[in-house]
Amino acid sequence: MTDVKTDERTTGTPGTRAGAVRALLRGTPENAGLRQAIGWGIGLLVLIGAFGLQTQLYTGQVRTVSTVFMFVGLAAAWNLIGGYTGYACFGQVGFFGLGAYSTAILMVHAHVSFWLSMAVATVIAALFAALVGWPLLRLKGHYFAVATLGVAEALREVVINLPKLTGGGAGITIPTFGPDAPTPWLGNDGFYVLFLILAAVAVAVGGVVAVSRGGYALRGIHQDEDAAAAMGVNTTRAKTLTFAGSAALTGAIGAAYAFQQTTLFPVRPFDVNITVLMVVMVVLGGSGTVAGPVIGAVAVAYGQEWLRQHITTGHALVLGAVIILAVVFMPQGFVNYASDAARTGRLSLLDNVRRYRL
Amino acid sequence: MSSLLEARNLSRRFGGLLAVSGVDLDLVPGRLLGVIGPNGAGKSTMINLLTGQLKPTTGTVRVDGRDLTGARPWRIAHSGVARTFQIVKPFRGMTVLDNVALAGLYGPNRIRRPATARRSAREVLDRVGLGGKGDLTPGELSVADARRLELAKALALRPKVLLLDEVLAGLRPAEIDPALQLIAGLRDEGLALLMVEHLVHAIAAVSDEVLVLHHGQVLARGPAGDVLADDRVIEAYLGARYAARARSKEEQ
Amino acid sequence: MSQFLQATVYGLLQGCIFGLVAVGFSLVWGVMNVVNLAHGAFVLMGAYMAFELNQAVGLDPFLGVLPAAAAMFAIGYLIQRGLVNLVVNAPIFITLLLTFGLELLLVNGMLIVFTADYRSIPTDYAAHSITLPGEVHVPVGRLIAAALAVALTVGLSWFVRRTRTGMAILATGMDRGAARLMGISARHVYALTFGLAAALAGAAGAAVGSVTTFSPADAGRFTLFSFVAAVLGGLGNTYGALLGGLVLGVFQAWGGQLLPGTLVNAVAFGALVVILAVRPQGLAGRAFYASRVEV
Repeated sequence: MTDVKTDERTTGTPGTRAGAVRALLRGTPENAGLRQAIGWGIGLLVLIGAFGLQTQLYTGQVRTVSTVFMFVGLAAAWNLIGGYTGYACFGQVGFFGLGAYSTAILMVHAHVSFWLSMAVATVIAALFAALVGWPLLRLKGHYFAVATLGVAEALREVVINLPKLTGGGAGITIPTFGPDAPTPWLGNDGFYVLFLILAAVAVAVGGVVAVSRGGYALRGIHQDEDAAAAMGVNTTRAKTLTFAGSAALTGAIGAAYAFQQTTLFPVRPFDVNITVLMVVMVVLGGSGTVAGPVIGAVAVAYGQEWLRQHITTGHALVLGAVIILAVVFMPQGFVNYASDAARTGRLSLLDNVRRYRL
Repeated sequence: MSSLLEARNLSRRFGGLLAVSGVDLDLVPGRLLGVIGPNGAGKSTMINLLTGQLKPTTGTVRVDGRDLTGARPWRIAHSGVARTFQIVKPFRGMTVLDNVALAGLYGPNRIRRPATARRSAREVLDRVGLGGKGDLTPGELSVADARRLELAKALALRPKVLLLDEVLAGLRPAEIDPALQLIAGLRDEGLALLMVEHLVHAIAAVSDEVLVLHHGQVLARGPAGDVLADDRVIEAYLGARYAARARSKEEQ
Repeated sequence: MSQFLQATVYGLLQGCIFGLVAVGFSLVWGVMNVVNLAHGAFVLMGAYMAFELNQAVGLDPFLGVLPAAAAMFAIGYLIQRGLVNLVVNAPIFITLLLTFGLELLLVNGMLIVFTADYRSIPTDYAAHSITLPGEVHVPVGRLIAAALAVALTVGLSWFVRRTRTGMAILATGMDRGAARLMGISARHVYALTFGLAAALAGAAGAAVGSVTTFSPADAGRFTLFSFVAAVLGGLGNTYGALLGGLVLGVFQAWGGQLLPGTLVNAVAFGALVVILAVRPQGLAGRAFYASRVEV
């Protein structure tokens, strides 16, 4: 029954280098500190590499990579509420659009600088999440998923129907040059750096939460909310804080998006497909892990780009097929699959199918 | 001695069903109250009412003098009341050690650093007999060990009051005695204990007082020997005919 | 006043169709705890089937309901048996993603084959109106569609409550483990349920095709309306979904009269959120979701 645990294959001979590496991969309470340090080190290296990458790219690529960073940030933010806490929010794009439109409105109507607008938009998104979270975080599973979807859809409709404030269906344009502009446009390179920093912050937040006391609470809520509550976790506060934090990060990214696009129409910033992309990225990368959203976002964003360039008609169809295959064969995501494989030595994808099938 | 946990006139209604009705109880440090009753008598519901999983329809719950009626479960936990669940609820994705460490992090002691909580959790695991199994996941535990884990999670809250919901269910006879010794030990350390159980001899062995619930109401209360011989209790468990037969046998 | 009455009648007729679409959606959700995001695509598939049959052999779309429903049943059965059954025990966002991927596949497939042009299946009689007292016009086509929807819902309710197969579906929905112990093949029952839901969606699609224009882009809207109607009416109750559909239809009709632009949608979603927060079991359902026992 416990063969897998005590098998030589998995524990390795203690004292040997192979054994030490295996122990490191597996993760024991003793080497937790070392693993964390390595994780932060890798993250820092990737960040430095991403900064350096900018000098190697030409303009078109800079925009593409900026979009990838945007999705990394969005995925990492969704991972907080959806991955760690297990509350699958299908209305996440609502915070994105809220951040985007708040920024646009402040810059256009009140001539507030971009940086201040972004800060305010972040706060607005967080407060809004806390507000709708109060009734909605009581819901579970599908109910929570589609209630949040309803909120996002309602937000979009509200934006469309307040044309004096938001420009309605005709859109709203942020002035970016000349005396009207509160802040001059950052330029493609500027936005590259901005999205990279936002992504780094989102991933860093995920990293800190994962090993902190709060991470224990969120994992507890995810795995058995009643038991967590009985053990002293204030589940309402934990969920609300996480939801608001996730929304704040998403709203900040939305603010950057708004300034980058300069003209906003209601459809795109509130597009439900953005939420689905976020979810796909996190799930494929590894929900509830730190690196999962990053890997998933990069893979899916590039995959989509590649599909769009090479299969002009029907790329969405192929995306649908890929999602189906990925969800059936690797529902735990790549990072979890890899770490399970390292721990147990089992590489078969059919294991997942066997685990979840009826 | 004043009671640490006091319930008065506790009731809970689900639509047309009165699951618990007019229950009074007092839990006192160093004493164990056994609670028995046929299936569906409302025992688990009563525990849920005492620990905040359910809100009472009527009645009050006081812990250490403070009114905590209908308080959320975490507030009850912070006031020193811990419970185990009848169907164990471990965190399946965490190690046994982390399962227990969560209580240290969020219980009344509010340990700040996970590493410290894990160290303290190790002590609790040793106490219940799970020492050395901290790295396993709950799915890898035997039934007896799973029950130990459930108990460890409650004890890690360093409670003053402990409510046990059928902790002995599913244990082999050889496993029951050590479990009872552990529980008696907790009582002797000064915990106020409530133990819901079906195993009558276990209840008789370790209770200072026994409460019988039937259809949500207190049917009988008193020392184990008296309660178990009570006509009404026999009738509740085994039916009127058997009770009559037992009575007539006694009269002979 | 007559405008208000007209709107109400329209809303009720439209609501019947929403109800029919929602009934299948609600059945799948209640029995298997699967929210099928591709349900709207099934509706469109039924519409296009009826359309093609009409083009090819001139089959009246209301008669086309039968082959469309039959074909969709087979397709739905196969999809569940071969695909969705593979993730039934997974966390909910896995099943949501799977059905979303399916929706992408189906909708984009239809876009490639049929293009995004709006189609309709005109008949001689559908556009005629019966005029009721109060200057209220009732289009014949919509009336037939609504009657069909109600008939199918009643039929499903009878099937589920009175036949052995239907009761097997209910039982599996309440306690899969116990049902299996009784000898019920849960895989087959789930596939049957999904097939039934797809059949009802296809039938609704054929009916929709005869009363209005349609295009693959409408799929998402149908799915969302199914969800709203199912939640409004409450799960675990076939008539609940029909009721939810009626409420939604009337609400939309009145809202279109009273509110500017598409604000009615915002209010609809807002109402959905409020209902979920206040009374998740909807108007007619039990607290089905909480009472599941899964094995």
